[in-house]
Amino acid sequence: MNVFVLLGLGAAAGLLAGMFGVGGGFLATPLLIFVGIPPAVAVASQANQVIANSVSSFQVQWRRGNVDLRMGLVLLVGGMIGSTAGVALFTYLKNIGQIDFVIAVLYVVMLSTIGLLMLIESLRTYIKRRRNPGAPRGKLHTHYLVHRLPLKLRFYKSKLYISALLPVGVGFVIGVLSAILGVGGGFVLVPAMIYLLGMPTTVVIGTSNFQILFVAANVTFLQAATNGTVDVVLALLLILGGVVGAPIGSRLAAKLPGVVLRGLMSVLILAVAGQLLVELLRTPSLPFSLGPREALK
Amino acid sequence: MSRLIMVLAACCGLTATAFAQGPRIEAPAPAPLPGTGLGGSSVPGSPPSVPAESETPELIVDLSRARVSITSAFHGASILMFGMFDPPGEIVVVVAGPPARETVMRKERFLGLWLNTGRQSFLDVPAYYAIAASQPLQRLLARGAGGEILSLEDRLSTVKPDGSRDPAELAKFRAGLVDVKRLEGLYPAAVGQVTVQASRLFRVDLPFPSRLPEGVYDVRAYLLRDGNIVAAVSRPLPVGKVGFSAQLAGWASRDGALYGLGAIVMALFAGWLGGAIVRRL
Repeated sequence: MNVFVLLGLGAAAGLLAGMFGVGGGFLATPLLIFVGIPPAVAVASQANQVIANSVSSFQVQWRRGNVDLRMGLVLLVGGMIGSTAGVALFTYLKNIGQIDFVIAVLYVVMLSTIGLLMLIESLRTYIKRRRNPGAPRGKLHTHYLVHRLPLKLRFYKSKLYISALLPVGVGFVIGVLSAILGVGGGFVLVPAMIYLLGMPTTVVIGTSNFQILFVAANVTFLQAATNGTVDVVLALLLILGGVVGAPIGSRLAAKLPGVVLRGLMSVLILAVAGQLLVELLRTPSLPFSLGPREALK
Repeated sequence: MSRLIMVLAACCGLTATAFAQGPRIEAPAPAPLPGTGLGGSSVPGSPPSVPAESETPELIVDLSRARVSITSAFHGASILMFGMFDPPGEIVVVVAGPPARETVMRKERFLGLWLNTGRQSFLDVPAYYAIAASQPLQRLLARGAGGEILSLEDRLSTVKPDGSRDPAELAKFRAGLVDVKRLEGLYPAAVGQVTVQASRLFRVDLPFPSRLPEGVYDVRAYLLRDGNIVAAVSRPLPVGKVGFSAQLAGWASRDGALYGLGAIVMALFAGWLGGAIVRRL
């Protein structure tokens, strides 16, 4: 595999990440698959890259005091269980020869859902703004039946008194996603923290970074130990590309209005999902493939 | 020392048989060439079916390279096998990769999507298999059945499936295995050309594709006379990854847990460093 292709890919993913303010893992992994990296390796190495991505962001947020450590730890309980279960599921799917298919299908489902939601949201905002430029934003969070769950805990920094089961559950789902798809999961975690848990936006980014950092480390460790699918060189190239690409992306983003940016992003996400779907639908040149070679005993 | 004695003894044996055969005058046995291993007399793994003449210098071979090193920029390699034989005769060269258990997976369309629906493992599948000959192979083998020289089809017919399955299905998986290997250039369909010069020197280019499995390959030259193998020489050819990423890969498979910890530390450091640099800018 060409070093410069991978560096360029890391830079492109970093650019997009910086531009749209996301981790970029959910775009980098499909791109790696397109250039011919086995999906299992792409996912596990991407988890390794996520560590680097979240550590620098976490540092900044920590210094500003924007991390709710208590909430982070409760999330992490779920995250650790979820990611460990996720890697076990990954290993099982790999052993029965279905991991590549499952990764591709999950990406198609996830990307097309996110892409469509974003597209609808940005179109709606765009139309609304044109009609009524001074429209107030909708309220940020609503309360659901989740507030009746047991095991309530007080989260001082987030000014919340909610059941611990809720963040544990959220952490669990993110952990499974992280293990199977190699993403940090910020694009699911952040909305869940704001809308589902009702956390104040100031502590959301820092706390999600805290959870993502440790979950990604757990996934990297387990993937390397059980499946041997982590490629450090690949991860390092992605990290390097990201370091170069992300600042350029965020500078570009500052010049574009948010609605346009989200619209562009949604189109891009849908295009990637479409390409993955096409590869699943296309008749392969050979209906056979070979699994890993095993040395004779 | 004992090797030299063995070689000398083998030479005497050859001279004796040559005289016994009749009026042909045998040239004195050539002095052992340094470093060639002289006809592979010391190479282990010579098949027991090969007659004792294989220890004689009737056939001397060498490879242009002692090993194939797969670097991160590896795009295939071409290795030259060359040698000398006592005429008359024809040369057949068989290159076999290390055997391993391979699993063939079959894709089928399910709700419009292509996914793996069946799998079949085979034991003792050669990683690579190629044949080169100085004359069309069929003609050479038809005369005396060639003994142990196997075409790819013959070699694969000895490959045993892991578990039982309907024979017709099994044949499909077997064909699928060959198709995939052929696509990767690991089972070349064409028989390579062994060039003979001055009726006693031969050379053959052995091309290897870029996606080459690691292991010790067996490059074996046969000297055929009237369809019978009169000499066989085997040279082991190690194929392995070299360089930094190969060492990393070796580490990853030997001690995955430690490698995982290393990967985490690397990412933490790279992330911290990257962040520090970007903040300074």
